[in-house]
Amino acid sequence: MQVALDGELAFYQQMVDSITDCEVIRLDETGVVRTWHEGAERLYGYTANEIVGGPMSVFYAEDEVRDGRPGFDLRTAAENGHCVSEGWRIRKGGSQFWAAVTLTPIRGAGGTLHGYVRVTRDHTERREQELAMRAIERMLDAITDYEVIRLDADGVIQSWSPGAERLKQYKDDEVIGHHVSMFRPEEDTRSGLPEREMAAAARIGRFEAEGWRLRKDGSRFWASTIVSPINDENGELTGFVSVGRDLSEKRAQEQLVQRQQEEILELSTPVIQVWDKVLVLPIIGTLDSARAARLTEGLLDRIAAEQAEVAILDVSGVPAVDTEVAQHLLKTVEAARLMGAVSVLSGVRPDTAQAIVHLGIDLGSLRSRSNLKEALQLALSIVGATPVAATAVVASGG
Amino acid sequence: MGDNLIVMLQGDLEDGTIEQIERDVTREVARSQARGALIDVSGLSVVDSFVARIISRIVAMIRLLGSDATVVGIQPAVALALVELGVPLKHVATALTAEQGMARLQGRRRERAR
Repeated sequence: MQVALDGELAFYQQMVDSITDCEVIRLDETGVVRTWHEGAERLYGYTANEIVGGPMSVFYAEDEVRDGRPGFDLRTAAENGHCVSEGWRIRKGGSQFWAAVTLTPIRGAGGTLHGYVRVTRDHTERREQELAMRAIERMLDAITDYEVIRLDADGVIQSWSPGAERLKQYKDDEVIGHHVSMFRPEEDTRSGLPEREMAAAARIGRFEAEGWRLRKDGSRFWASTIVSPINDENGELTGFVSVGRDLSEKRAQEQLVQRQQEEILELSTPVIQVWDKVLVLPIIGTLDSARAARLTEGLLDRIAAEQAEVAILDVSGVPAVDTEVAQHLLKTVEAARLMGAVSVLSGVRPDTAQAIVHLGIDLGSLRSRSNLKEALQLALSIVGATPVAATAVVASGG
Repeated sequence: MGDNLIVMLQGDLEDGTIEQIERDVTREVARSQARGALIDVSGLSVVDSFVARIISRIVAMIRLLGSDATVVGIQPAVALALVELGVPLKHVATALTAEQGMARLQGRRRERAR
């Protein structure tokens, strides 16, 4: 019987000795270390000779010892049947590691306390990971102007963020587990656009698009979204991260600016019908290519609309005609001619004349008059009205 | 159309049809002894530099036959595109509409008669 028991004890000893990735030791009822093994040595750095018979307080930081933490842990274990704690523990030499410690009381017959089993695990790495995770979560939560959400490989929503909630009005439990197409207008879903975007993201590594998104209340907003694939260490696609932003304001602003620019261009390139079939295009200020293109288009449209036969291009208000502007003017003249309209330049300055001729452009049938009055007289004679009437027009107009 | 001939170009111009058109136009001008010809291009689906070159060729043929030719119906966008491409229509007479074109053909004839 005794032999069998010894055999069993030896077996248990072997078992404990073979545990090397955590500590399993016995403390006596006052917290003095009674057994030690390789796993404990690896964690705490002490050999059995150094530590057996010593108090468990050596594993605690000084301030915790001062606060009576070792005794408190033992009492808690004795009273509750166990004590689970996480915290910094001290190795031989003073270095720290983040330990998960379980204390369990050992009781004999009648409930007499014989001591404690202590199990310690090193959770330093796990704690760092958790802290890092929490930092990422906090970081995501801090982003409120953007939505950052995670999708699985099929586009099912896996995570939600305060930014997403703010943008789309949904709470996390209303969206997680649903397909991301729930935020898309019907026309997008019908054409399979969300799926195509994810496929493109998986293929190219990133997909960026602007489009309409739906809020919970059904209203639309103009959003910019970047979808990026998430791959595991083997390069297998595991999901997507989608970062979105409300561009409504920006879009409205852009449209406003564009509209204003168009209005300004419209104002800066007026075409005036001064007589039946005669248009005047007074060009004032510097001509850049955008304005010049606009001017040509405006003139041609008016020629078509008014069935004009003569267009007077008054350049007396242009401070400088460089080669580019001159070329533009001559293109306008040629385009007008293709539509059957004769152009008359008026108010050409000496330096402009030089510029145009130095361009080496064949002036062909281009006619020019020194001022608007003479240009009008020429125009009216072309369309067959009498120059006398033209004088009257100029007089009443000026 | 009296002394004048109207040539309506419509749809797409392809290599095969172009020769047919040129043949028809030259024969008709010669046969009718027309004084002038209006070439209306407003029905063409595309007017690019290729088509423009064909138009100027037809104009040249009509002139060689002793007639006047005027191209009508070039739209604003087409005019812009042709200018950007560098048109081969420099010396071709133009007008916005068929009426305008007709008036110009007659006007030019009067000038010549004087």
